[in-house]
Amino acid sequence: MNVSIVPALKVLRPAAMLVIVILVGLVLGYWANATFVPGNSPEQPIAFSHKIHAGDNEVPCLYCHTQARRSPSAGVPAVSKCVGCHLEVATEKPQIRLLMSYWENREPIPWIKVHDLPDFVQFTHKRHVLANIECQTCHGPVETMDRITVSSRAVDGSAEVGHPWKMGLCLSCHRENEVVNGTDCLTCHK
Amino acid sequence: MPNIDRREFLKLVGAGGVSVGGGFMLREANKDQPEYLIPHVLAPEDFSSGLDTFYNSVCSMCPAGCGISVRTREGRAKKIEGNPAHPVSQGGLCTLGQAGLQALYNPDRLTAPMRRAGAGDAGSFEEITWEQGLKQVGDRLDLLRAARRGNRVALLTQGVRGHLAQLLESFMRQLGSSRLLHYDFDHPHTLYAANQQFFGESRLPYYDLANTRLLLSFGADYLNNWISPVHHSLGFGESRQSRPDVRARFVQIEPRMSISGAAADEWIPAKPGTEGILALGMAHHIVAEGNYSGADRGAWTTALADYTPDAVAEQTGVPATTITRLADSFADTAPSLAIGGGAAGNHSNGVDTLVAVNALNYLAANIGQEGGLVFNPEPAGPASQQHQASYSAMVELAEAARQGEIDVLIINGTNPVFTLPPTAEFAEALAQIPLVVSLSSFLDETTALADVILPSHTYLESWGDDFPEPGMGFSVGAVSQPVVSPLYNTRGTGDIILDLARRMGASSVIPWQSMEEFLKYGWRRIYQRGDAQTLAQDFDAFWTSVLKAGAWGETTSGTTAFSLNPDVIASIGVAPPEFSGSEEDYPFILHPYLSANFHDGRGANLPWMQELPDPMTSVVYGSWVEVNPVTAEQMELSEGDLVDIQSPHGQLRVPVFIYPAIMPNVIAIPIGQGHGEYGRYAKDRGVNPIEILSPQLEPITGNLASSATRVSLTATGGRVKLVKTSGVSRDLGRDIVQHTGAGVEVSSAVDNSIPITEVTT
Repeated sequence: MNVSIVPALKVLRPAAMLVIVILVGLVLGYWANATFVPGNSPEQPIAFSHKIHAGDNEVPCLYCHTQARRSPSAGVPAVSKCVGCHLEVATEKPQIRLLMSYWENREPIPWIKVHDLPDFVQFTHKRHVLANIECQTCHGPVETMDRITVSSRAVDGSAEVGHPWKMGLCLSCHRENEVVNGTDCLTCHK
Repeated sequence: MPNIDRREFLKLVGAGGVSVGGGFMLREANKDQPEYLIPHVLAPEDFSSGLDTFYNSVCSMCPAGCGISVRTREGRAKKIEGNPAHPVSQGGLCTLGQAGLQALYNPDRLTAPMRRAGAGDAGSFEEITWEQGLKQVGDRLDLLRAARRGNRVALLTQGVRGHLAQLLESFMRQLGSSRLLHYDFDHPHTLYAANQQFFGESRLPYYDLANTRLLLSFGADYLNNWISPVHHSLGFGESRQSRPDVRARFVQIEPRMSISGAAADEWIPAKPGTEGILALGMAHHIVAEGNYSGADRGAWTTALADYTPDAVAEQTGVPATTITRLADSFADTAPSLAIGGGAAGNHSNGVDTLVAVNALNYLAANIGQEGGLVFNPEPAGPASQQHQASYSAMVELAEAARQGEIDVLIINGTNPVFTLPPTAEFAEALAQIPLVVSLSSFLDETTALADVILPSHTYLESWGDDFPEPGMGFSVGAVSQPVVSPLYNTRGTGDIILDLARRMGASSVIPWQSMEEFLKYGWRRIYQRGDAQTLAQDFDAFWTSVLKAGAWGETTSGTTAFSLNPDVIASIGVAPPEFSGSEEDYPFILHPYLSANFHDGRGANLPWMQELPDPMTSVVYGSWVEVNPVTAEQMELSEGDLVDIQSPHGQLRVPVFIYPAIMPNVIAIPIGQGHGEYGRYAKDRGVNPIEILSPQLEPITGNLASSATRVSLTATGGRVKLVKTSGVSRDLGRDIVQHTGAGVEVSSAVDNSIPITEVTT
């Protein structure tokens, strides 16, 4: 008996092509999002510009992030810190008025966290600041950013804007600076 | 290649476009939710984010007064440990103290002032403001005070010491009321009375466990809940291991093996209530054998004439050879120490029993000795033991309420509806009082019957201080400071009382605006009494150093000179214990004991304590009755069988736990469970043995003889599975644990050199 699969293919072909196109499309869309959307640069409640503060006016990082030199976390300045200057400085700008409205209502500003490490990484700012590692080494050229973005001037050049930190970044720097026990698992994972 | 027509092509392009968008959104939806960095509005001065800040304070989970050190991060309390600088706890802390965090963060805390909604509808409250609540109470107090009817106000508090106690006292004096009662279920009234009688001391002495070489404990579960368990545990460890050639011996005398009994070298079950007779039997032997040579030897010989070892053996069930052996070693070992309390003090002859224990210490010359008992000096701060209310005082208060003599009752922290037997009819009495105000942090059984609730801070949020009782042989004090900002709309007990004092027009005498201010005022007086070194710094520096260290001490010690009043010797004697209920109807003696986890029930709302296995039985989340294996065999009971326990005053249904280390005619139930209120973790779990206690009294103190109730046991046929972490409690022929049944000598005990005393019933 001569059985041909051609008639069956004729029926199935459009459906098969549709499935293939949809799958390719899904992958393409997912990849496009992952590659081109700077996911780690969210819009903040106040359009605070590091470029104006740290860049143009050369305010030192530790002036606001005072905890960095003595605590694991760098800390976000209290609203009172912002107000300390902005009672006098640039009081007419709309974003400063927004800041003052938080202050007058005694409400904290709900900043969105940009730089984050997984919970299984034990990182402390204190050691790195005391070792005179520049903040920009990991945080990138913050002084040029209007809106903060995860970025890294990674020593091996592998990290690009928009990429989260990977373990290679830590390790290459630890190797380069010959940190004691710098590549030991328990140094960061404990 | 198949040819695709235009229609087909557009269809594919459309589908492709939609799916690219779909893929894009899929990734978008899978992204982590943004985390927020919420800054402070005002930068706090006392902590840095990411760094621990430690505050020293005082534990208030039980009356021992241990020093604690609380780790806080970003203004939140994270962990409680003992404060190494505090002489009581020396860095140690018990499980209940560790679980204090769960009192702070408890989801069932009262978060705002409340008033009973509608007419007398139990358990239904409406939220009010502090001003409303304080005004309602303050106005009433003001009226009563102006009409000179202040005695119609009663204040009932948990046992508090230090300046809060002083504040309550002057508050009540301003009202013109004598009805100030401190009530704790486990307050050792009989121990205080016995020490007053024998030593003429109104304070407890310091029991120097650390330096003793032989400890005889008559019923005092000193490692678990007797007076200051953390300090005793430290002393226990030191006496065993801190001296190179000396390892102290511990002998525990009690009808049911407690944790202290399990840790002892020798556990001796004497018939319940005969511990004092046993002590006098030993005393008789010491005097008769010439091991005591004091001038009053003749008087002792006369007083103890009836307590020959044979007569005592007959009464106590402990063999005469054991009595003489213990008496000889107690007299020969120096220093040795006898302590008594717990169930031994909670019989109808409680005071006499503890006087007999003191007599042993006297005859073995342990008084004022290192390793014996040392008298404490006057505490540096206010102490108010005289306000401790016995069971009889509570019954009187209830009676006064029923007679309509009380208009306002203010309750602080204590929970008498749970810790008094129903025969006291305390709940009924509360219903007769027009205004019942509770300052509790939780909706416990008593607070549920209140008319107005003015919720207090927990101890981790409030100011206070403590002068531990007993002292450490020298005077100790500590300030309890808030370690976190208040979580809810609550206020400190002291602040509430100060506010009420202002409202009733007593601010000329009680002028302080806050408890912190009053504490500073009180501590300034302590500072001014200080030595040159203290006065070299100004008061603020002194105050800061006391807060920082979490403890403060004076080197003054108590009196060492002691001469016994001869009348005491003549009056020595212990009558046989009296029990409620006849032996025919109620063949068993109920031994209720303070749970290691819940103390007198106050810890039952802490889930950590609920899930912590009981140290002796490993049972979690529930109640059980401990029954000797021989008894269980006779009654054909096995573990988990539900039995009805009937006393002359009530009945409980509870599962059986087979417990080899209990006398066959005694059954034991832990106190602490069986709450009808007190939050989701405590409510409707287990039974409360206090409910079936008979109102049998110790006549000298008027204290409840809580170990003097007889009960009967009836199998119901029902059965539950006990939740416990251990497997079988028997060694199944592996010969790893030596144990005895009734009247059985275990021969292998001799080989293992574990002294075991035979049990006779």
